[in-house]
Amino acid sequence: MHELVLFASVPSHQHHELLQQLAGLTAMQPRHRLERRLIFKAYRRPGLINTRGGTGRDVQGADIVRLNKMLNGGMFYTQVIGPISEADFHNTKPSSSADPDHPMSHDEAAGNSYDYDSQPWKLEFRDIPEAGTRSTITARLTASATLPRGDIVTPMDAWGYSFVTEYVVEGDVFIHNDIVIFLHRVLQYPSHGQEPHEPRRQLPSFRDMSPLERTGGYILQAAITVQDGSNQELMRTASQHLFGLREQLKSVVRLEHADRLSLDTRAK
Amino acid sequence: MTTPTPDQIKSLEQSRQRLVQLTHSLGSLITSLNQSDPLPSWPSLQSQASIISSNLLTLSTHLSENHALLRGISAYPAPEFPTKTHANTLEQLLRTKLDPRVEDWVSRGRRADENLVTGATTGTTAGMTAGAGGGLSEGDLAALWEWAPVEANSEARRRNWGGNFTLEERERGVQSVAAELGLRRVLEDEGSEEEDEEEEEEEEEDEMEVVGVRKSVSGTGFEFDIAAAPGVAAQEGGVAPVVPLDEILRYMTTGVPPGQR
Repeated sequence: MHELVLFASVPSHQHHELLQQLAGLTAMQPRHRLERRLIFKAYRRPGLINTRGGTGRDVQGADIVRLNKMLNGGMFYTQVIGPISEADFHNTKPSSSADPDHPMSHDEAAGNSYDYDSQPWKLEFRDIPEAGTRSTITARLTASATLPRGDIVTPMDAWGYSFVTEYVVEGDVFIHNDIVIFLHRVLQYPSHGQEPHEPRRQLPSFRDMSPLERTGGYILQAAITVQDGSNQELMRTASQHLFGLREQLKSVVRLEHADRLSLDTRAK
Repeated sequence: MTTPTPDQIKSLEQSRQRLVQLTHSLGSLITSLNQSDPLPSWPSLQSQASIISSNLLTLSTHLSENHALLRGISAYPAPEFPTKTHANTLEQLLRTKLDPRVEDWVSRGRRADENLVTGATTGTTAGMTAGAGGGLSEGDLAALWEWAPVEANSEARRRNWGGNFTLEERERGVQSVAAELGLRRVLEDEGSEEEDEEEEEEEEEDEMEVVGVRKSVSGTGFEFDIAAAPGVAAQEGGVAPVVPLDEILRYMTTGVPPGQR
């Protein structure tokens, strides 16, 4: 799959207005979305090649060189994404006013319904954006797969990936024809000195989450996913649709392609 | 009386060619002025004028180079010239004086030249009297150039620029002004509708397009919001994000905190 993306930086004071404008443009209400995002980084593992079972086809000569390069040379950062809801965050305030009869009204347990072991995960792989060809748009190869629920570090480690860090993405999604518009920002966990080396099993209070961009600015991301990236016709149509949206939103935000190196997923 | 040498004939032939070029370029300028509607654009007029002036320049250097020859040479009809059928040509060739009209031009040119020379040498006062002749002295020109930019600038500062019409013109009514000036193109009168005059005209036009396109797609109320939005944002003067987009994307991709690489 290929993904064509344009980004824009949205200052916080424009956020509310833009939400309304997008709602009007797309004729839909925003879908609120909260995601845990875990970043994993590949580390070299001996015998990686050997794990690849025979496909029944004989590869030889130049093919082997290429295969070696692909499997050994390509070490990438990859994301594991898990949908969460605001209710999953630890609620520091007793919910007594809302529900006096609630059996667990103690501070320790109140409202803490997050269950790490049943957290669904999805693996999202993104290649470094293509260079050159479409310099006005960010185009990259993507792939995603559903992962087992719960503890994700063990299976990821088995695949040769180590946990780097995690954050939460909060935002709203709109669909405009074939364009997915995601107005979002990054929330960081409150830091207590040492950064943990594995995903948190408990989520802190939502209030304690602090935006990475301290002024509260958002990122507007407009993306089209193309199933067959080798189909030039489709890719061209998709870029034209994105450029159309860029024109429509021109007076509000400036949608641009992102700096290629800032989306560099290669692990060095 | 000798027959001209091949060299002399060659230089005569060259003068003729140069003259033909000059008449060609003059003729094309005249036809373009006469026939093209609307008038030719400034760049094309200017390029034609520069062609003519370079033609004139080459012709004049050629004439002064061959001054002696052209002075000394004289034409007379050979016995085999068909006098009866080409009498007009013969008369033209045998004229010793210039055509009366041409004589007028030449004398006018010489007068202007003298004025210019005396004006330049005797200074400003002579230049003022010579002004009636249609030229300014060097000193006057210099003074004018010194005065004009400052004055134009101060005049420009007095006005609030933007849009196609001045306030006075708008008060008098755009339609009547357009009729007075003979404007064929319909110029947008933006200023009367919105006040953001700082924006460049192009951008304004683009904005209009955006709204126009939207109108054909869906309703009307919403698009107007979009067009008005940048003005509102500018007025609020909200806080711009401090972390660059690239840094955020890098953090989202690799977990590298902003400010570190």
